[in-house]
Amino acid sequence: MPREAEPSLSERTFTLQAISEGLRLDGRKLDEFRRLELSFGDEYGVADVKLGKTRHVQLLAKVSAEVTVPFADRPFDGIFQITSELGPMVAPSYEVNRPTETEVLLARLLEKTIRRSGALDTESLCLVAGQKCWSVRVDLHVLSADGNLIDSACFAVVAALRHFRKPDTSIEGETLTVYTPAEREPVPLSWLHSPFCATFDFFGDEGDIVVVDTTWLEEQLRVASCTFSLNKHGEICQISKLGGRPIEATLVIQCAQMALAKVKEFTDLLDAKLAEDAKRRDKGGLMAELSAENER
Amino acid sequence: MAPPAAELSHLPKADGSANFSFGGYTITAAVNGPVEAQRRDENPFEALVDVNVRPAAGVGGTAERQLEAILQPALRHLIAIRNFPRCVVQVTLQVMEAPENAYVNSKVMQPRLNLGIIPSLLHAAMLGLLTAAIPLNTVASATCLAVTNATAGSTIKVDPSPTEIDQATSVHVLGFTAGRDLLLAESEGSFTAEEWDRVLQTAENVCCRGQETGNDAEMGGYGAESENVLHFMRSVLEAKAAESLHWR
Amino acid sequence: MSSEPIFVLPGDRIDASLIPSHEKKPLRLGPGLRHVPPSDLVPTLAGQLVTDRQKNAIRVETANGRYIPRVGELVIGTVNKSAQEVYFVSLSDYTAPALLPQLSFESATKKTRPILLPGALVYARCVSASTGKADGLGPLVGGMLFTISLGMSRLLMMPKKAQQGRLVVLDELADAGVQFETATGRNGRLWVDSDSTKAIIAVGRAIQETDEKSLGVDEQRRLVKKLIKELS
Repeated sequence: MPREAEPSLSERTFTLQAISEGLRLDGRKLDEFRRLELSFGDEYGVADVKLGKTRHVQLLAKVSAEVTVPFADRPFDGIFQITSELGPMVAPSYEVNRPTETEVLLARLLEKTIRRSGALDTESLCLVAGQKCWSVRVDLHVLSADGNLIDSACFAVVAALRHFRKPDTSIEGETLTVYTPAEREPVPLSWLHSPFCATFDFFGDEGDIVVVDTTWLEEQLRVASCTFSLNKHGEICQISKLGGRPIEATLVIQCAQMALAKVKEFTDLLDAKLAEDAKRRDKGGLMAELSAENER
Repeated sequence: MAPPAAELSHLPKADGSANFSFGGYTITAAVNGPVEAQRRDENPFEALVDVNVRPAAGVGGTAERQLEAILQPALRHLIAIRNFPRCVVQVTLQVMEAPENAYVNSKVMQPRLNLGIIPSLLHAAMLGLLTAAIPLNTVASATCLAVTNATAGSTIKVDPSPTEIDQATSVHVLGFTAGRDLLLAESEGSFTAEEWDRVLQTAENVCCRGQETGNDAEMGGYGAESENVLHFMRSVLEAKAAESLHWR
Repeated sequence: MSSEPIFVLPGDRIDASLIPSHEKKPLRLGPGLRHVPPSDLVPTLAGQLVTDRQKNAIRVETANGRYIPRVGELVIGTVNKSAQEVYFVSLSDYTAPALLPQLSFESATKKTRPILLPGALVYARCVSASTGKADGLGPLVGGMLFTISLGMSRLLMMPKKAQQGRLVVLDELADAGVQFETATGRNGRLWVDSDSTKAIIAVGRAIQETDEKSLGVDEQRRLVKKLIKELS
């Protein structure tokens, strides 16, 4: 496919000049995020995330589950995988089945942040040791990307997983029954903590200007970037700073503080949206019937 | 069934984009083009049409490749490919939502071809191409029909639900251009020649309903024809054009 | 313009009364129309049908999509690389580059031709490859490049954009004392330069927001007021 487009000289010099003066092209402050919007689909486990208004990042994460055989070396664990793909929908330079560097880095970061931090209890996915387990997979589709893919992708995946319900099961003796949604209300996953990513990009000759939620153009011009993954309790899952200019240790600590504040914001937003969605679903549903009984 | 809904040019980075939902399916189409084709597959006389179907869950498999193989010749026929030699028009179709059967637990990998999704894919692709201002020869629409054999004789159901598709003896997808030419035809199951004739007739009526008028000046009367997808596409595109060319 | 805009889809029949006829001038077809011999005109784009009876021209107007170069249009290109006699200039992302002969710049000779590095911007006019003579308008130095829709770039290039196009943001900004310089390319690019960084951002945002939200005259005035407040 054609080469990735490159910013022109004027765009380069001007954007850098503006950032050194503390200005950004879309009128944001250096430490200001674009508006994050989250909506859930009618199905369980579908999260649509939008960052910014017109020139935005848009992602769709979908969780699905099916019963399979566990891996031979991990008989007590279920299977949990996250796949993300950037296709020609994002830009003509992305080819199908030929992952670019951005794509690989995104997949690795999601893996480290969500899977390896033990956010989902994979043992709870086991049904019959060594024979049957749940396989949970998250498919992340990037519809449009204008910078800061990592933070929004991580948010979308966590939101979709928290929203997801898997079919209920029961075991009687030797027989395993998987109930369809019509028979029994599906159940949520056993979720342990919600990690989020916060990325900081560094500009300037010394790398001392910190900018958050960078656009595509800004991303092309940064001298270094650093991604923190942590939950609202301040437990850091990973920090990655891949190449680029070295950064002062004090600046890294400052960024970690900012990351914690941002992650708390993400957590609150997600909790609020989940509660809102639960309310919408329960309108006149089972919960309404139960509460009516209690009142009597 | 809910009327079709669409959102146009909602992806800022693509040249053209559309979100089309009908009958439980929601498809997002992004169209980029005409862009430079790769040296190894460029054609010096016409533009290539690259169709990419991506499922909501799981990575694409043989079923998606077959959908692409059905859609690609149809779109190639519609696009004025001779205008853009050595170029490629990329059409990416992302399935966002598919109707689910609450009585069956779905599997991630569906090796079976799902004919019911083709009309929505085609309509989303059409809207994407039109918003990307890619020259087309004509517009087209498609419909899905299910034939159910009962003792009393066979019945044809237009826009069947997944359950109805499961119960049908044969499923057909037919596409027609605005000029009433057959654009695509795919069938699955067993059926007689007589049934096929009836399917063809019904599909033509569904797709080309109200097309006799042709001109938008006589488009006033909606009512029974409101579900006609071509009318629907015309009205959403007209509204979009009026909005973006408001200064005229 | 004169009457209700007429919306067409590809393959529609165009009523003969809509096609302008002039005794002397030949009929000129603009973008979005195809001539099917002997005498049929078929639209190929979805948009509004625009006719100009004085020029005996007819075309389909659209506002989105990718830029397709046409002879005589002014564009802003980015220099990709330089070859012996020509520059390879990209007019839109992911498309094949256009050729810009180095001697086509104003008063350029073999010794005095301008040296442009990859990434430099040029303001140029498209000419047919067969004539081989380009008409370079010159490099654009400094400033900032903003991406806009094709419809907006056409609007910006109208001689009387305030009256015909209801576009007042630039005039309003200039009236408010902001000093800036712009160049519009038909390929959906707007170049803005000014002494102050803030002013460039303000102009760019004003145009982009007007474009994306299709703002009316009053809304444009309000936007300019807001931006001016942020400037000071």
